Order: sequence, then C-alpha cells, then structure tokens
Amino acid sequence: MSEYKKPLPVIQPYSQAFWDATKDGKFLIQHCNSCDSNIFYPRRDCPECWSNDLDWIEAEGKGKVFSFSITHEGVEPMFQEDLPIVLAWVDLPEGPRVNTNIINCDPEDVEIGMEVEVVYVKATDDVTIPYFQPVGV
Amino acid sequence: MGIAIVGISEVPTKKDPSRTRWDILLDVCKGAVRDAGIDKDDVHAVISPNPMAQPDMANDMALGKVPEVLGLKGCRDIAVTNAGGASNTNCLRISESLIESGQAKFILIPHTTVQSDIPVADLINFFATAPLDKQWEYPYGVTFNGSMGLITNRYMYETGATAEEMAAVTASLREWGSLDPNSIFYGKKCSVEDVLNSRMISSPLRAKECNLLADGGGALVVTSHEIAKEFNKAVYKLGHGTRFMSATPFMRDDLFHRKAYKESSQDALKAAGLSIEDMDIRQIYGAYPYTQCSALEGYGAIKEGHGAAAWAEGRCGPGGDLPCTTMGDATGRGHTGSGVSMAFYIETVRQLRGEAGERQVKNAEHALLTTSGGSVMNTCTTVFGRSSR
Repeated sequence: MSEYKKPLPVIQPYSQAFWDATKDGKFLIQHCNSCDSNIFYPRRDCPECWSNDLDWIEAEGKGKVFSFSITHEGVEPMFQEDLPIVLAWVDLPEGPRVNTNIINCDPEDVEIGMEVEVVYVKATDDVTIPYFQPVGV
Repeated sequence: MGIAIVGISEVPTKKDPSRTRWDILLDVCKGAVRDAGIDKDDVHAVISPNPMAQPDMANDMALGKVPEVLGLKGCRDIAVTNAGGASNTNCLRISESLIESGQAKFILIPHTTVQSDIPVADLINFFATAPLDKQWEYPYGVTFNGSMGLITNRYMYETGATAEEMAAVTASLREWGSLDPNSIFYGKKCSVEDVLNSRMISSPLRAKECNLLADGGGALVVTSHEIAKEFNKAVYKLGHGTRFMSATPFMRDDLFHRKAYKESSQDALKAAGLSIEDMDIRQIYGAYPYTQCSALEGYGAIKEGHGAAAWAEGRCGPGGDLPCTTMGDATGRGHTGSGVSMAFYIETVRQLRGEAGERQVKNAEHALLTTSGGSVMNTCTTVFGRSSR
C-alpha cells in the first residue's frame, strides 16, 4: 500500500470509538441515554442536555444527498490527483447530517435527493475513512 | 450614548508584495487620524482585527507594536479581536464599551493584510483549515469554495434561482467594483456571460464567483455621539444585532442565514428606531453570491426565494432602486482576509458622507450593514445614519 498523503482526521478521545468502528465497516453515531438524542459528530457531552451518559449505535449506513458540490480546482497539492472531488452532505435516516465525498460514480450523475450508502476506504493501518456511493454500485 | 466614525482611510486593494504590511498599516493609521482632524496623541486605544494568515503581524498587533511605532503617547489600551470576517465588528463593539464607560475618547481601528507574498498552496491551506473542521471536513478535501458551493447548490435547488440569475449577482457586484478606485477590479466590469464562461471551481461556483485574494488595509477613528457632533463628517452607529448559527456549515439548520439576517437586522433597526424601508443602502458582507440574495430575503426587503431575481433585474446594482453592497463585496473588490469588513465600514461612511464618487447613492441617510465570520458562523448587523437619531 502506497503512503497516504492526504490529511488524516484529527481524532479526539471521544471520537476514537467512531474511528475504531470504521475499520470494522461500521458507521457509529452517539446516542444520549438521558434525552434520547442521536448525535453527530461525536462529543464528550450531549449538546442537547449536557449529559455524559452517551452510548454508540450503529447507523444503517444509508442516506440521501442533501447537497453536493463538485470541486474541479483550488485544492492543496495532496488532493490534486483526486479531482474532481464530489463534496456532499448526506442526511442519515437516524437524524444526523454528515459531510463526505460521493465516490465510485460519475460526478455528473450525482443529484440532490440521491440514495447513497456508506463505503469504507482504508487510508492507513490505523485509519479507515467512510465515504458514500450511489446505492447498488 | 453610542459611537460614531469620524475618520477613515484606505489603501487600494491590489497584489503588490513590495507594499509591506507595515507600509499599509502606517499609511492607514496616519490617514484616518488626519481625516478625523485629531492629534495622534488623542488616540486612547488601538483595537485591531487579527491579520489572518500572517502570524508575525498578528503578534506585532496583539503585543502592542502599533501604538509604540506610531508614537501614540496618549494610548491607554490595546486589543486584538479574531472573528474572521467579523473581527472589525468586534473592534467596534469593544470600542463602544471603552467609549461609553468613559475609558477612551478616540479609538483607532487599523487593519492590514498582505497575501501576495504567501505561497498559493499555503493560502489554500489557511483558508481550508482555519474555519473548517480538521476531523469531519478537511480530510474530505473541503475548501472554502467547496463549502460555499455546497450551500449555493442547495440554495439554487430550493429557490429555483438559475445560473444566469446567480451570475447576475457577481456581474452587479463587479459593476460596483468597477466604479471604485480602491477595488482590484476598478474599471473592469464583468458580464453575466463572462461569469458563466469562467472556469468551474466548486460547482455551482465559477472562478469569477470565487474570491481573488489580495492585499489591502484601512482604518477607522471612532468616538462618542456627543463628541462626534463637533465633527462635520461623522457617521453614527444607531443600532446593532448579532445572531450566531454554527461554526460548521453542515451542522447549520439556518443554512442560508435568513433567520439570522432577519433577527439581527430587526434588533439593529429596533434600536435605531427605524424600519428596513428607511434603509437607503444594504451592505452585505457574505463573500459568496448567495448571501447577497438570502440576506435581502432575511431582511424582509425581498420575498423569500426571490433574492437572485432582484439582482438579475438590476435592482441592487448601480442605478437600481434597491442599492446593495456598493463596494462590491469580496468578489467585486478582492479578498483582504479580515479586511473585507473594514472596506464595508469605510464604504458605508463614504456613502453617508456623500463622498462615494460614481457609486454615490443619492441622498443616502441610512445604511444597514451585515458582516459575517468564519464559514458564515454569524450575522452581525448594524444600522448607521448621517445624524445621531
């Protein structure tokens, strides 16, 4: 495997479980046992009720494109070979909206409302990054 | 109670690394103090916006070099604020508190930015990493343009605004900029076709709809309403309101900031005892065209979803019945880091003084000005007037 040159996510103590799970092909979101909120991105305390009684639940891994933008230029050199990059915000049925890339498809085929599913790409031995692709690719 | 701006100075926005940060800073400080007609030693405080992406200058400003180098012998206090594009707004608010509590009579607010000596990759890195989340955005190749492209795409989807209408926003902003000797685009108009023919950067945003990073600077001298009455060219701050949304765009419910524009403008107008119909000019610092549309919708000046059409009909550009953003915003002026909002305040003073040259809105008495910081984390809306209520 060639060396990963793009920026790795800066992982925090309270997001470590999320990044551990992506290595096993699971997309976790936090669930607050006090107020029943589903939370993304992961935090130490629930932003709704400040409880720290937080659990992890596994998301279905499906979602809908809320918006997207195809970047053709203006990126740092380490992203250059990935162009065009499809930036997207995907709404999960569990509630949260996530920022991601849509991969494994022609960028011109991406539409708002499109059904997508999570796909995992190993960046390093320690980090696997979740992306999304059209359902059924 | 309240503050007024009694001195302004600005250098032209351009790319010229031979013009150093300190050259710009010294010129605008001297210019604003002389424009006010006060003695340099009457300056009681220097409150500066943080010069973004320029760590050496940031340290100089934060740690007191400005009053020392300028020999401001009456200076009692200094502070630097950092709220990205809204930094200047915070400078005005700190100044207001120092002036209203009697700790200062005259305050100097200087800004300087030189980006032309910073490598392009470093600038992209700065503008990608400063406001963006290092865990949830940056690893995915999000840039500032990409982030704003995501919002713009959804804005067009929800409102039905066409690419031509959105391009008309930039064409109008460039028309304002073409009339401004301090714009990098002075004398350089750009048609709707020019915008639509420019390279796609982060869809739907094309090159001419994205910001050209440049160098510039400006300064303000502010004082109390009472003292300002002795000055011929004072412009009065009459009311203010701010709403915070979120640091990260994908966490934002109020994605086009309409509610934030609405509530912050209502607070500001209420304090001023005025209505949106009383405003002769609407100055919108959003740095990307969709903000020029959604702000009008939020203010209640245009029906929701029809902001882009208003620009396309020419209502917001020179000669229109709803003049907006008369210095062209960052896309019509050149982006000077934390300095775009400085240019907005200076332009508002010029308009209300009747000194805006070819951009002058006839008989402008009141103006509404909104700044925003970060990835549009907030809307900071101020009402200014030619007289103190």
